[in-house]
Amino acid sequence: MTLHSEQAEFPPQSRNAVGAPRRPSLAAWKTTAARRMRAFAPVFVLVALCILIAIANPNFIELRNLIRIANAAAVPLTLAMGTTFVILMGSIDLSAEGAVAIAATTLVLLAANDSNASNFGWWAVLAAVCASGFMGFLSGNIQTGLRIPSFMATLGVWFIGLGVSTYLLGGSAVRLMDPALRGLALTRFLELPLSVWIALAALAVAIFIQYFTRLGLHIVAIGGGEDLAELSGVNPRRVRIAAFTIAGLFYGVAGVLAAAQLGQSNSVIGDGRLFAAITAVVVGGTALTGGEGGVINTLVGVLIVTVLGNGMVLLGISPYIQQTVQGLMIIAAVASSLDRLRLKIVK
Amino acid sequence: MTALSQLRDLPGVSSGALRNLAPPALLVFLVGFIALFVPSFLSVQTLTMVLADTAVLFILATGETFVILLGGVDLSIQALASLASVIVAQLLPSLGLGAFPVAIATGLVFGIASGIVHVGLRVPSFVATLASGGVVAGLALLAAHGRAITIEESGRGYTEWINATTWGVPNVVAIAVLVGVAGFFILRYTRFGRFSVAVGAGEPAALAAGVNVNRTKITGFAISGTLAALAGVILAARLSSGSPSLANQLLLPAIAAVIVGGTAITGGLGNVGRTAIGALIISVVRIGMTFVGVNIFAENIVFGAMLIAAVAITIDRSKIAIIK
Repeated sequence: MTLHSEQAEFPPQSRNAVGAPRRPSLAAWKTTAARRMRAFAPVFVLVALCILIAIANPNFIELRNLIRIANAAAVPLTLAMGTTFVILMGSIDLSAEGAVAIAATTLVLLAANDSNASNFGWWAVLAAVCASGFMGFLSGNIQTGLRIPSFMATLGVWFIGLGVSTYLLGGSAVRLMDPALRGLALTRFLELPLSVWIALAALAVAIFIQYFTRLGLHIVAIGGGEDLAELSGVNPRRVRIAAFTIAGLFYGVAGVLAAAQLGQSNSVIGDGRLFAAITAVVVGGTALTGGEGGVINTLVGVLIVTVLGNGMVLLGISPYIQQTVQGLMIIAAVASSLDRLRLKIVK
Repeated sequence: MTALSQLRDLPGVSSGALRNLAPPALLVFLVGFIALFVPSFLSVQTLTMVLADTAVLFILATGETFVILLGGVDLSIQALASLASVIVAQLLPSLGLGAFPVAIATGLVFGIASGIVHVGLRVPSFVATLASGGVVAGLALLAAHGRAITIEESGRGYTEWINATTWGVPNVVAIAVLVGVAGFFILRYTRFGRFSVAVGAGEPAALAAGVNVNRTKITGFAISGTLAALAGVILAARLSSGSPSLANQLLLPAIAAVIVGGTAITGGLGNVGRTAIGALIISVVRIGMTFVGVNIFAENIVFGAMLIAAVAITIDRSKIAIIK
């Protein structure tokens, strides 16, 4: 009974009113209490996971292992920051792997390397991030200009990026020889590699964008209901292009870090990264329907994915099965978090 | 928005003529273009080779057609094909011909699983299949221990039915034609086929008319999974090896083949015949690029751009209020 009275206090939002009438028993499930529980569910999962793994193998909580986890989380965290903004809008970005490949390839070809004579040092980093940002800008323009769904636009851009990268590399791997850039992954500050600090800086920038800028507000508004946002004076087209471009810039930073960690760029440098990024975003509790969640959720999601991967290695489980576990996590997270009352038709 | 997109939204400009005539015209143009450069391209031998090379892509794309017609998309076909190739390569020595049904049944099972996740848990199909594709890719890696498995001399006898040539026609072409004809008839003359088109054209209307939407969707994904596995088996036989990443490069061309053929990503419009033309276009473009001197490493750029262009032309914007 209490549930029903609470439901009366929180009438369905206007955007829900368009479809068929909602059943009260289902609507009751969406009370604020349930919402709050759901918001913290990823944190509970992360804590439980840490405790379980630590019990099974105490090596897990050694400082050395925690640093290893931080190091492994750096690239996925940076990547997932970008993906978060796009998913917050209710869109999807499949171009992460292509963008990472572009950034990594631009970096190694412009910095000191074993394939050509260029040596632009830090300018190569700037160029790499910009190249990837341009891919995002392209995705945004294709999606809004040609008016096609983002998953198709970014699927195309993914392969365009991959194709450009393979073409530039000529199908081989090129090694990064600039010691300063290699240092991004090798130099340590307060025990942690610089790449971890850069990832944390990316997180700070993402938090700033989401919570302290008008753009961040508009992205969430579009995700919550594009028609309403537009009527309130938001220019969806500009916001969408900006969000995809920001995502591209984050992918660019991630690509630079990935190239520094690997010490090279090759055609498969992006492989599996899209999957990890989307898993992290979704597992963190950002709804695929948009408007709910954010970069903090994604931080938790990245930690869940990384801790689980680390734990599986510690427990002696085949690393090959990691993708399988991540896939199941995506299904579980989406199935439990999707605001299905808003989705009359699921395609 | 822009004048261009308004023009495209006018009924009749894009939907009718362009969608029906453009793909075959493009194919003829491409073949003619290559024949100008290399007259021998039009020989029976070369054309047979092109058909044989298109077979795997076409079978994958036919499965994908069923899902796209329903208004969804299946991003797990490359993973299923790879898994099927691993299963065949691993089981051929012990099971002989029995390895083929096992591999194809695996595709069926995972296709049904994707469908159930999609309709049962109400997860959008591209996420459901992205996830199930990850699950399958992990299993394939595990089954193959991360390596490629060569089909040894002893097992090659069993792949003869795929690699052989009957009356001058490669068996793979015959298999692809069988799949294509079956797909065509299923879509046009069976209740499931008509329901598929109805669901894709307008799900609420189909639901109101009493169509079992969930069952139709699961069947669509089951067909997609089965055909993906069949494609993987054929690929394994042709390359004499199975590997967990064998078909990874085929997802984009397969989706592109469906869309370039003129099947709309929004569902309800299209058929297997269009996919056949789309698959041939993709193959001919790939071959044509080498003739014209485009670097083979750049082929993904061309396919990505073709995909975007074809989606933009064939999509039915009246069906989506807000494009996300």
